Amino acid sequence: MRTPQERAARLLRWYPKAWRNRYGEEFAEFLIADIEERPQSAERALDVARAGLLARLAVAGLAGQHVAWQPDPGRRVQVSLGTLCGALTACLALAAALWSQLAIAWEWTLPTTATPPVMRATLVMSAAVLAFLVLIGLAIVPAGYAIARNCNVRMLGPLLVLAAAVSLLAFGGHHFLYQWPGSGGHSEGGTLFPVIPAGIQAFAWSLTYWFSVHWFWLTTGLGGWEVAWIVASPLALAAAVAAAATLVRRADLSPRLLAYETRLAAAACAVMGVFLGGCGYWVYVGRPPGLAHAGQLDIAAAILLALVLAAAYQAQRTALRGLQLVRG
Amino acid sequence: MPKRDGARPDADAGLAGFGRYAGPATLILSSLADGPKHGYALTKDVEEFAGVRLAPGTLYEALARLESQGMIEALEAEDRRRPYRLTAAGATALQAHLDAQRRATETGLRRLKANWGTV
Repeated sequence: MRTPQERAARLLRWYPKAWRNRYGEEFAEFLIADIEERPQSAERALDVARAGLLARLAVAGLAGQHVAWQPDPGRRVQVSLGTLCGALTACLALAAALWSQLAIAWEWTLPTTATPPVMRATLVMSAAVLAFLVLIGLAIVPAGYAIARNCNVRMLGPLLVLAAAVSLLAFGGHHFLYQWPGSGGHSEGGTLFPVIPAGIQAFAWSLTYWFSVHWFWLTTGLGGWEVAWIVASPLALAAAVAAAATLVRRADLSPRLLAYETRLAAAACAVMGVFLGGCGYWVYVGRPPGLAHAGQLDIAAAILLALVLAAAYQAQRTALRGLQLVRG
Repeated sequence: MPKRDGARPDADAGLAGFGRYAGPATLILSSLADGPKHGYALTKDVEEFAGVRLAPGTLYEALARLESQGMIEALEAEDRRRPYRLTAAGATALQAHLDAQRRATETGLRRLKANWGTV
C-alpha cells in the first residue's frame, strides 16, 4: 500500500514541469491532506488527470492564456505559434501525401475513364496546396529575416536539424524521382491532369513514398536504398516539423511579426480546411475501380489530417487570444 | 429583447471570461473574502458554507486563473502550504458578480411568487 506522499507524488506527474515548479509543493500538501481524509476517490484521480492534461496542453500552446505559471503573454503567443508551425507543417506533409497519389493516378488514368467529380476534387485540392505554399512563402520570408538577424546559440541546434532534414528530403526526393513505376508523370496515354507539371507530381510522390509504398510495391521487393529512403524520409519530415516548431518558439519575434504570422496561420488553417473538404469529397466520390479511388490508408490519413488541423486551429485561437493580452 | 422585472442577465461583468470556472471562482473569492487561506483550508471552508467540495485539479485551475487576472495573490508559503489573499480587484469583481446573481435570484423568486404562489 502506497503512502499518501507517494500517491500525491504520482498524481503530481500528470502536470508539466513548469506547473509543478510553481504549484508543486503546495499542491502535493493539499493532495496529501485530501488523500488522508478520503483514501479512495476516483473523482479526485480523474479531476487531477484532466487538469494535468489541460496544463500540458497549455504548455504546448494549445490552451489557457490565463495562467499565472506562464506569466509572459508574448512568450505564450510564441509557444502557440511554434505549435501552430509544427502542426501546419505536418498538415502539409499529409496533404502532399494524399495529393501526390491522386495527381499521379490522374497521370495514369485514361481520358475515357475520367470521372469529373474526382477531377473537381483534385483541382480543389491542388489549388489549396498551391495557396498553402504561397502562404508558407509569405510567412517564411519575414520570420527567416528576423531569425537571421537575432540568431543565438539556442537556435543553432534546431537550425542545423532543419537544414539537415530539408537537405535530405530535397536530395532524396530528387534522387528517387523517377526510380519507381508510377512516378514520373508519363503522359503518353493522354494525361487528364496537365495543370501540374509532371516533375512536381513525381517529386511530391517521391517525398511521400513512405505513405503510398504499401499499395503494391512493398511485396514486390525493394532495394536497400529504397527501403532506407522509405524509413529515412518520414523521420526527416518529423525532424523538420519538430525543428521548425522549436525554432519559432526560440526566435525573438516582435509583437507585430507575431500578429502577422498568426493572421497568416489563420489563412493557412482555412486553406487546409478547403483541402480537407476536397479530400472528403474525393473519398466520397472516388470509388473503385480505377486508380483515383480513395483507399483505407487515404481515409485514415484524411482523418489524421483533420485531427492535426484541429490542433493547428486550436493553437491559432490560443495565439490570437494571447495577442489580445499582449496588446493590453 | 426587452428587459422585464429588472432582469439584467448581461450585467455580470465581474467574472466575465471565466466560463466554466465562474462557479469555483465565486466560491474561492467568497471564501477568501473572510481572510487568506491555503488550498486545503479553502476547500473545507467552501464545503462548509456552500456544501460543495472543490476537487484538487479544479481548485488549482481556478486559483491559477484568478491569480493571473490579479483577483487574488499568493502570500509567502507556510510549511509548504501557500495561502492566497483576495485583492481589491478581486473584491470588486466578486461584488459585481454577486450583485448580478442577487438580481437573478430576486427575479426568479418574484416570478415564482407571482405565478406559482410559492415563497
